[in-house]
Amino acid sequence: MKDTNYISFYNFYKPYSENVHLSFKGPLDKNVIAVMGDLVNRNLGQNKVQGKLIFSVFIELALNISYYSDEFVDYKNPDKRIGVGIVIISEYSNYYTITTGNVVSNHNIKKIIDKCNTINSMNRDELRRIKRDMRRLPSGTHGGSNIGLIQVALTSENPLHYDVSRIDESNSFFSILVTINK
Amino acid sequence: MENIKITGSRGVFFIPSVDFNAETGVCEISGESYLEDTFQFYEPLINWLKKFTAEAKKPILFNIKLTYYNTSTSKYLLDMFDILKIYEDNNGKVALNWYCEAEELKFVEEDVEDYMIQTGLNINIITTN
Repeated sequence: MKDTNYISFYNFYKPYSENVHLSFKGPLDKNVIAVMGDLVNRNLGQNKVQGKLIFSVFIELALNISYYSDEFVDYKNPDKRIGVGIVIISEYSNYYTITTGNVVSNHNIKKIIDKCNTINSMNRDELRRIKRDMRRLPSGTHGGSNIGLIQVALTSENPLHYDVSRIDESNSFFSILVTINK
Repeated sequence: MENIKITGSRGVFFIPSVDFNAETGVCEISGESYLEDTFQFYEPLINWLKKFTAEAKKPILFNIKLTYYNTSTSKYLLDMFDILKIYEDNNGKVALNWYCEAEELKFVEEDVEDYMIQTGLNINIITTN
């Protein structure tokens, strides 16, 4: 292991400094999400409504990682399993982006890709219809609503951009980028 | 029947205010809803509504004044509206008002329409400034 005393953090920070408002990598505990969400809600967006849209997308994507990431910490209590991932919120001249990434087992990745593709193929009315249908289903294992990603697409009013990088024979890394227009 | 009164707060989590009054039949949920355990929070409200509609037989005025609710909250709102619809179908008197600020009308209108389609209840939107 390198002697960390000689690592300049500036090289790590520099690419973030221009557009990034917030970045976090680690266990996305519901408390952490709430605290970051509050900062996002109060500080981002050109008006109150826009701030709320960024906040709403952030909450749903971060909760997805918290519930479903296949990399997690359990703090010695399996009931308290907390998903690990990365979240970055950036601002550009015409839009904001909320990008998240997390490890997904190769076993589960197709399901997520299919879900994103289905959402991207639907118009607004179709999205609202499946949101209504799925809202009737029982909650997910962690109390999730199962409609987070659909709501994200409705809030964003833009397609979901995603990418999958294969890590090894067991896992992949799933990235998703959501834009909110200014 | 007892009333439910919860004073909301925005600490780590966003806890909505709740005022369910068994004497007047006026029920109100306001503020923001992002909770550590959404089910644990809404279950007593759902049970209260079930009990009220079964026992009290009074008109219900239900006011939603939420400025934010996450998707898991939206499921429990649906559960409550379902109870109101059953009550209405059994000749109970129900009025459901959804308050929102004018600038958010576009989003609220869609949400409210989705709830109306899903439950068959009529929901009045009341805009504030």
